[in-house]
Amino acid sequence: MTHANPQTAGPTTVGRVFLRLVFDGWRGMFGWIIGIAAVLGLYLPLYPSIASDQMTELINNLPTELVEVLGYEDVVTGAGYTQATFFGLLGYVLIAIAATAWGAAFIAGTEETGRLELTLAHAVGRVQYATESLAALLAKLLMLALVVYLMIWALNDPSELDLSAANLLAVTIAWASLGLLSGTAALAVGALSGRRLWAIAAGAGVAVLGYLFDAVGSTNDDLQWLYDLSPYHWAYGNSPLAQGFDWAGLALLWGLCAVFIALTIYGLARRDILG
Amino acid sequence: MVTVVETRALTKRYGRHVAVQNIGLQVQRGSVFGLIGPNGAGKTTVLRMLVDIIRPTAGELSVLGETPRRAGAAMRRRIGYLPGDVNLTDRVSGRMFLQHIAQLSGVVAEHKIDQLAERLELDMTRPVRDLSKGNRQKLGLIQAFMHEPELLILDEPTSGLDPLMQREFLAMVREASSVGQTIVLSSHILSEIQHAADDVAVLAQGRLVAHGDVASLRLTSVARLGAVIADTDALTLHTRMQALEQLEDVHIHPTPDDRIHRLTATIRGDMDPVVKALATFQIRDLTVEEPDLEESIIDLYARTK
Repeated sequence: MTHANPQTAGPTTVGRVFLRLVFDGWRGMFGWIIGIAAVLGLYLPLYPSIASDQMTELINNLPTELVEVLGYEDVVTGAGYTQATFFGLLGYVLIAIAATAWGAAFIAGTEETGRLELTLAHAVGRVQYATESLAALLAKLLMLALVVYLMIWALNDPSELDLSAANLLAVTIAWASLGLLSGTAALAVGALSGRRLWAIAAGAGVAVLGYLFDAVGSTNDDLQWLYDLSPYHWAYGNSPLAQGFDWAGLALLWGLCAVFIALTIYGLARRDILG
Repeated sequence: MVTVVETRALTKRYGRHVAVQNIGLQVQRGSVFGLIGPNGAGKTTVLRMLVDIIRPTAGELSVLGETPRRAGAAMRRRIGYLPGDVNLTDRVSGRMFLQHIAQLSGVVAEHKIDQLAERLELDMTRPVRDLSKGNRQKLGLIQAFMHEPELLILDEPTSGLDPLMQREFLAMVREASSVGQTIVLSSHILSEIQHAADDVAVLAQGRLVAHGDVASLRLTSVARLGAVIADTDALTLHTRMQALEQLEDVHIHPTPDDRIHRLTATIRGDMDPVVKALATFQIRDLTVEEPDLEESIIDLYARTK
């Protein structure tokens, strides 16, 4: 027999899944960066023209409930404006969509195309695949966070935002953590069910409910208990861009992410892969 | 003899639906083992359990001396697996795709990918997602063969391949077997098994309905009888043939000469009484057609219902 090499050995596969998931999606990543840069480049330079006495007067004349729902209480400060226009609204939507799309694609998406079956039939373990998917999600979110941080910092002086570097870091991390929460929710439901649509619903659901609970909680003192259920409020409730790191809020966010991560690993490790 | 794959009372249930029930198989090293049956018979379910894509509900399963679930990733380096549905959407070229997969499998010898691609006439410069079904199937075959695994598990390997490529694939299977690699393949196209497999297991509705080498499977089955009988009347011949319990579908066809008749029937079981009964007439022509596997399988399905 010429075939006498039982190949129990071979190159390590550690990190291979991670690299593929990160690099195969470079076009999408590029698109998200362009989108985020466009939003920041359009909104932030407008701040000097908005931070006027007339604007303060206009805001004061609006119904307080509306102002609070929109998060425009401090819109005339640089921090308040950046929070209200980017982190609290459009930036939130963008990162929730990006993270949900990635989280749903990495496990449920590859499973639906049959690619996961092919990968897992090779020398890749279930726990390894789940862990590397999480790492890829985290890496992509950190890349977006870096772009946001650098872009805002670059616009800080020209747009007269008067932001502190440390507080900007605090809010960027809170923002990326909200993305991580939607992304891990999508990963977990994808890993448990194998269905991409359910995974997308989970990621989007977490983002939408978080925003709604915060918005509704702000309208009425009797409804403020909704704040406790809102990841959006955990991240932004104490205005990190004005006040700096809110470790308690971040701990809650990361704690819930950890639950989703555990569900992801458990789900993929114990279940049959669907065809 | 070394047993490479062994299952005992292997069962897979999804809730109340039974996908595979009580399957016992043995595959010897260096052999080509065919799993045949119609779609939905449970072939894919069995093959997926061998590589731990799905887990058995009950029964025992041993692959390369290990339990797939416990052996984990290291065992799968020694296996080449072709999924039943190779639906790839990657933007990268075929060559890149195979190089990525190679990083996840056992050691791939230099030029091996090129050799296989040349053999199967696959253009590896085109993006994977632009490839036709047949070319994707070739990619799937290359990734299964490229690390020269001890065990090849191929689900419907010839689907989408044109007849020329099917022949090339069968040659690859024979070569792999001759150097000691073991091949388990599934098909609902019987001719493929007929020429490639040493042993065959027939699945129908999740159960094993027959099991053995290809030659013995034919013996247990049916044969087509055709005869031209002279010097008798149709009624006598018909009565005589109907009386034989080994014959079914007995038909007497008239010929221009009313003392000559053409007889067709299906022989099931022992041939001897049939030949002896025929010998009492004057035989002008006699054919007993060896059944092809297709007829045997249809017959087996019928008997399991």
